[in-house]
Amino acid sequence: MHHALHIKNGIVIDPKNGVKAEKMDIFVKDGKIVEESEVKGEDVKVIDASNKLVVAGGVDMHAHIAGSKINTGRTMRPEEMRVVRNIANKFRAAVGRVLLTSPAIGYEYAKMGYTSSFEAAQPPIGAMHTHEELDAIPMIDKAALPVFGNWHFVFKYVEAKDIEKLKTFIAWALERTKGFGVKVVNPGGVEAWMYGGNVTSLDDQVPGFNVTPREIITSLIKAVEELKLNHSVHLHCNRLGVPGNYETTIETIKLAGGFSNDARQVLHVTHVQFNAYAGDSWRTVSSGAEEIAKTMNSMDNVTIDMGQPIFGHATAMTGDAPFQFTLHKLTGARWSNKDSEVEGGAGIVPLVYLPKNPVHALQWAIGLELGLLIDSDKVVLTTDYPNGGPFTEYPYVMAMLMSKKMREGELEKVSPFVQKATNLPAIDTEKTLEEIIHMTRSLPARILGLPQKGHLGVGADADIAIYDLNPLEIDTSNDFEKVYKAFKTAEYTIKSGRILAKNGELVDECWGKTYWVDATGRVDMEAIKPDLEDYFKYYSVELQNYGVEEEWLKKPERIVI
Amino acid sequence: MIIIKPKTEFVVTVEAELTPDLAEKDVGEIKKFKVYYGKDVVELGELFEITKEGDDKKLVLDGDFSRVKWVGCRMSDGEIVVKGSVGANCGAYMAGGKIVIEGDADDWLGAEMKDGEIVVKGDAANLVGCAYYGDATGMSGGKITIEGNAGNYIGEKMAGGEIEIKGNAGDFIGTEMKGGTIVIHGNCGFVGGDMKAGEIKIGGEFELMPTFVKQEDAWVGDVNVKGEGVVRRL
Ligand SMILES: [Zn+2]
Repeated sequence: MHHALHIKNGIVIDPKNGVKAEKMDIFVKDGKIVEESEVKGEDVKVIDASNKLVVAGGVDMHAHIAGSKINTGRTMRPEEMRVVRNIANKFRAAVGRVLLTSPAIGYEYAKMGYTSSFEAAQPPIGAMHTHEELDAIPMIDKAALPVFGNWHFVFKYVEAKDIEKLKTFIAWALERTKGFGVKVVNPGGVEAWMYGGNVTSLDDQVPGFNVTPREIITSLIKAVEELKLNHSVHLHCNRLGVPGNYETTIETIKLAGGFSNDARQVLHVTHVQFNAYAGDSWRTVSSGAEEIAKTMNSMDNVTIDMGQPIFGHATAMTGDAPFQFTLHKLTGARWSNKDSEVEGGAGIVPLVYLPKNPVHALQWAIGLELGLLIDSDKVVLTTDYPNGGPFTEYPYVMAMLMSKKMREGELEKVSPFVQKATNLPAIDTEKTLEEIIHMTRSLPARILGLPQKGHLGVGADADIAIYDLNPLEIDTSNDFEKVYKAFKTAEYTIKSGRILAKNGELVDECWGKTYWVDATGRVDMEAIKPDLEDYFKYYSVELQNYGVEEEWLKKPERIVI
Repeated sequence: MIIIKPKTEFVVTVEAELTPDLAEKDVGEIKKFKVYYGKDVVELGELFEITKEGDDKKLVLDGDFSRVKWVGCRMSDGEIVVKGSVGANCGAYMAGGKIVIEGDADDWLGAEMKDGEIVVKGDAANLVGCAYYGDATGMSGGKITIEGNAGNYIGEKMAGGEIEIKGNAGDFIGTEMKGGTIVIHGNCGFVGGDMKAGEIKIGGEFELMPTFVKQEDAWVGDVNVKGEGVVRRL
């Protein structure tokens, strides 16, 4: 096997390094991008990329790819498991329609030129399960974000205004769960669900604790920023899926106002499409995307991702257990409720997005509005897989954001409700190819705090995608079908310097790293010991049995801060 | 007419979506038809002897097909005669035509079938005319006749058509049924759980869920789901 590559004559777009569609060569050695001089005298494999687009491998910063939620989804949706994607041969058996098995997840990302994906909601007590599943996903680098927003420990330290202990607890929890960062899902709301309720504003009191969602969010931001974690607080807002929720979203975004970080945002708000509804009922519902975009564009320390729905099958699965119950009541579809002790909960409900359904069409339009109206340096392309649909349709979203003509065609197929309830038909914006590459590579890498990802500069991981698209010639406004087709199947997907897929065919398999963040050196772990011992009386496991040891993981990559 | 005969006893199951459409091809082409033998894709001609007699749209499966699955899957016209027994999923998603099985049929006979006719001279196993796991609707049209006995789960989520069993059947008859008719001449176990509509007629003994209301000559339920299904004696 060659351990050096020379990608020749490709047209490179590398937004982080200011490369805008320039013909240049890329050199790879030992899994990293290197200078040409480094590969002199090596056994170099040359890849001719003449007239092809060469970019960094895609980075999916928010997807649900491992853990008890997706696995329960698979169990309760056998009908999702009838699409055979690969028969066991040189590669693993892989099945799934939208809900994929673990190998299928890795393979489908690889075929598309994506090389990293982050599991966005890990129930801490289920960490072992999540890592077992992450370890069963080939081809990509990965990590998991444990959920903190409804954990009794967090409520307790926020209530006591004890940021030091909160920081210590976060460091402890990330170490125990081998987690990457702090995810917050409907803060306080899932605890209220334990009593059959929810929270309806940032200032509702959480049952049993003298804290509010506002205090939970700001305390966690403060703690994460003082710890200097790679990634900021990653927030699924309160009131998800409720008409009128866009006001809460805007109020929440503004909570970041008091904080700053030179390297990245201090708050990432996720799948905002589900939190961008105006109106006061499903009859009067309309888009709140424009107002959210105004707020986002006026702030420099918040980022979002879209949560774009794709027409067709999906499965709603979130840590937002009360929302999932509401969805079940709304659609009558199957429902599974999950309880993770004093940490939070989750729910799962099958879903189909239908173009002629006014609400689904509205959701689809809002996702696109957010992608188009918000500054490309602040919005990442996601479908919140599998909540909004398959990640394999990212190329559809990419093409749509770049072509008004394509949007006009699609608008004719959807419910006319979007004409009056959204501004999508009037939006002329067409993102450039460079912006789209940024929204799928360099931006998510920056948001996650991974300097070696999302770009092609010397020293970066050699995660590279080559597409059959010449950026110097392509007219992205009119040739949207070509754009879609090109991004759907990478001509080459290279991960850590190894060619994994070629023209949609898998050629090699690798096992990526699992990143986790070790912040225990920044805090005094003794400070919370008595609290841990006390609280573990309420757990179904003993403190010494809680968590995941590093040696249990296939390829752990510890990031010490 | 095409006659298909197994060359050997199969060590693992064969998955072969054999439909009468095959009879319209020439023998060379039929032999190249792709089927699964375990996890390997093989050509039909490697596992079976194939001969052609005349031009009618008919398959004769001559021999033991009890390890051959998906016979007649999605067929829409023509006829299949199985001289022996047949494996699982025979006639699944069937939309028309006729299948006659001279021996026994394995699980999932006529699952989610929409139209056409299936006749089993021997017994049928479980899950006759049911919906596949996760799907909302089972058999929605056509007729299945079983001369012998049948197993558990008959017509789950069935929405139309008729299943007739001349012998006895097992438990869970017409669970979540939404339409159509099930006739059982002999005895059976539990009947009508979460039944919403349709009719079940039974000749012998059976056990009814307690959530059915006795009316003049029938029971109506399942009241648990506000159902108006009818269970009556033949
Ligand atoms: Zn999510």
